[in-house]
Amino acid sequence: MKRTRKQKREVEEQVQQLNDKDIYELTSLPISSSLEENKKILDQLFKDSSDIVIREFTFHDGKPAIAIFVDGLIHTQGINDVLKSIMVFKGEGTNIEVLKRAVIPSAQIAHVDNYADFLQPVLSGDTGIFIEGVGSALLLGIRGPQLRSVGEPESESVIRGPREGFIESLRTNTALIRRRLKTPRLKIKPLMLGKESNTNIALAYIEGIVDPETLKEVQQRLQKIEIDAILETGYIEELIEDSTFSPFPQVQYSERPDTVAAALLEGRIAIMVDGTPIVLIVPTTFWTMMQANEDYYERFQIATLIRWLRYFSLALSLLTPAMYVAVTTYHQAMLPTTLLLSVAAARETIPFPAVVETLIMEVSFEALREAGVRLPKTVGQAVSILGALVVGQAAVQAGIVSAPMVIVVSITGIASFTIPRYNSAITFRMLRFPLIIAASLFGIYGIMLGIILILGHMANLRSFGVPYLSPISPFSTKDIKDVAFRMPWPLMIKRPSFFSIGDEDRMGRELQRAVLEEGGQTGKYIEHDTNQREKDNE
Amino acid sequence: MRRRKVCFILFSFIVLLVCSGCWDRREINDTAIVIAIAIDKEKDGLYRFSVQVPLVGQLGGPGGGGGGTGGVKSYYIDSEVGQTIREAGVRLQRRMARELFYAHQRVVIVGEELAREGISPIFDILARFPENRLTAYMVVAKGEGRALLEAQPKFERYSGEAMREIVKTFALPINIKEIAYMLTEPNTDPIIPMMRVVETKSSEKSKEVQVTGYAQFRRDKMVALFPPKASNGLNWFSTRFIPYNTVLDLGKQGKVNIAFETGNVNITPILQGDRLRFRIKVNSQASIQENTSNINFDIESNVKEVERKLNQHIKNTIESTLNQMKKHSTDNIGLGLKVFRYYPDQWKEKYKEDWRSHLKNIGFTYDIHAQVINIGQTYTNITRGRRDE
Repeated sequence: MKRTRKQKREVEEQVQQLNDKDIYELTSLPISSSLEENKKILDQLFKDSSDIVIREFTFHDGKPAIAIFVDGLIHTQGINDVLKSIMVFKGEGTNIEVLKRAVIPSAQIAHVDNYADFLQPVLSGDTGIFIEGVGSALLLGIRGPQLRSVGEPESESVIRGPREGFIESLRTNTALIRRRLKTPRLKIKPLMLGKESNTNIALAYIEGIVDPETLKEVQQRLQKIEIDAILETGYIEELIEDSTFSPFPQVQYSERPDTVAAALLEGRIAIMVDGTPIVLIVPTTFWTMMQANEDYYERFQIATLIRWLRYFSLALSLLTPAMYVAVTTYHQAMLPTTLLLSVAAARETIPFPAVVETLIMEVSFEALREAGVRLPKTVGQAVSILGALVVGQAAVQAGIVSAPMVIVVSITGIASFTIPRYNSAITFRMLRFPLIIAASLFGIYGIMLGIILILGHMANLRSFGVPYLSPISPFSTKDIKDVAFRMPWPLMIKRPSFFSIGDEDRMGRELQRAVLEEGGQTGKYIEHDTNQREKDNE
Repeated sequence: MRRRKVCFILFSFIVLLVCSGCWDRREINDTAIVIAIAIDKEKDGLYRFSVQVPLVGQLGGPGGGGGGTGGVKSYYIDSEVGQTIREAGVRLQRRMARELFYAHQRVVIVGEELAREGISPIFDILARFPENRLTAYMVVAKGEGRALLEAQPKFERYSGEAMREIVKTFALPINIKEIAYMLTEPNTDPIIPMMRVVETKSSEKSKEVQVTGYAQFRRDKMVALFPPKASNGLNWFSTRFIPYNTVLDLGKQGKVNIAFETGNVNITPILQGDRLRFRIKVNSQASIQENTSNINFDIESNVKEVERKLNQHIKNTIESTLNQMKKHSTDNIGLGLKVFRYYPDQWKEKYKEDWRSHLKNIGFTYDIHAQVINIGQTYTNITRGRRDE
């Protein structure tokens, strides 16, 4: 009797301190068989929380019970149905197995015996049920409707390809991937991060294709994260990437389930976070940042050409302003005479040196772009009109910047928009400023030094052990097929060797052989001459 | 401690960059782009150095509207004398608000006076001064070089540009590098296109520049001018045959205008005992462009007749070139090199020392095949009816 009183006091002390503790520390707090005690703990935990609903009810035999859920996260009609079926149940309420098996019409049901395991699902939208005399709680997975419907992703639109994009709900997102990869080898491992946010995270990969070492590494890095909240994938990206201070993104992200599914098939790992439509993909290389999903849906010739266009415009976006500065201040001899004369004529009235002119224009262009992104769409139009008028025309007519400079800025802008991955385009937007400075100090020599530094850094980078520039450096002949070109699908038999180690083959070789031997006419040849056909039939 | 060290290294890095950079910075606004230069020799032995600089401010900057040639010249010509060319250039710089920038000069004009005195001295600055380009064309002026700069051709804004275009299209384009190369061969003499100013006969008078032929050099000194016919002959010996037109006189029947499309010349030296002669083999393709006679080229024998006349014409042209060379004892087409390649021993023993004096005694044999490949769209003048009806 004494002992129980002491225990009681301990429990009460514990209850007083409940709000100071993190959820995972509550593992030590068991669910009591006394409904009264449980209620006290819940009242303490959820005091001043208006969105928590505690619904008291009784079984048919008068046994008291409570249901607890977060208002807005549950599906009200579903809960009503469940409560109804419990209330009309005429058996004994304390047998939890009977309740689970025969009474409650809920697809997802579980029972837990400590508060940590209880709170996490309830706060994510499950409904908890405590019954007098039962030392565990039932969890019913009857969650509310989706936040928004699956729509076309705005950041990665395509002409040919699926129109589905991820949304803010993790479950929907995993479902979108599962719908594309209907195989038990697709694993979706759960994880919970963030002391306060308790964000659900899923690690998706295909067993047998993924490199187990990389998987282990990703898991270990994720598990080591200790942070109060994960509100977006960007938190995780910067916490787990290899070189935080590099300007280059070492993690790819996507909003499209088809892109993620394709990445999984290359042996890469997707990190999905609840509450954001962005999915991280690791490991990644520089070249994957230059590829768009549509490359694989359209004909291979145009995909190859567009890839080269992207590489070219990448160089343009990085080098055009710097080259302009270098050529106009150091290497005038490089220009064709007539071009030099027209540049000279345009620059005649400009009061600033070329560097200052370039910096003014590039900075105002960046400002315009930033303003256009942040502002509401209706105001954004006004920004673009202002930008076109002020930067494009007025500045030139006023003789503050030269017309060639406007061309240079536009070329740079257009070129940087052709890079399909936004985070990768940002990198080159940033890097062109140091290059402009280097060009103004040392001319083309300075640009060369800058390029060498950038290339050296890139060659040094790794993303989860994969060299950032592979398969170009270290060079791998067989993987060039998806970097320098986009080979037609029949020739892309092997998966990229720098990612996966498991199942190397993407497809069989039978079809290709048949096409090669029979010129594409496998077994069916239609005779156009009807007389001949009749003759053959006879 | 470590942080201070890092800061220090960063700081010195920035200082290094800022202090070591920019020393040769030159904004476009501060340069005077030299389009063409002319070098003359004054009576007192000084060099006169002239430059042609576009006035970019008058080219019409932003807001469009070209400068045009409405009275205001869009270029500036100035000259200065000096003991050396560089000295003259530096003196010229003293009254220029902008730095003269030579990397874009299209032509280097050499005055006739200087050309006759010898062009070797000017090749030093052309090669030593890094801004000068060896790919610029060189032109010899009839008379004073500066006068060519002063001309105002209508098609181009600057006479320098016009000269470059004309030399490139209608003459054997010979740039500084090639002339220097010819000069290094002790037994080969250069030719340089010669240009002069002509006044047009239109209502609006303008001074145009025109090619008049090729200056004939012995070593680095100009000795004569190839007459028009001999100039055409030089064309035949060039590896870059420039298509040209000629009129064939067919006597009473009338005249036919012929264009030579291709020309291919093979020179073979033949040493027989003591006598050296050259066999000159020519293959050419020509087309008929105008026919004022009533000859019908439907008939093959008529075409053959034209071809025979063409052979004669080519032979005359080439002969006149060779005679001009013999007359002044110059070797402008590299005959000596041929002898050296075919008969190196005899060349060393006999000809190497005084090759030019041997030129007079050399004979030539010809083997000429001209072929009419294109007679145009009609056989005869279309207004003439068919003869046999």
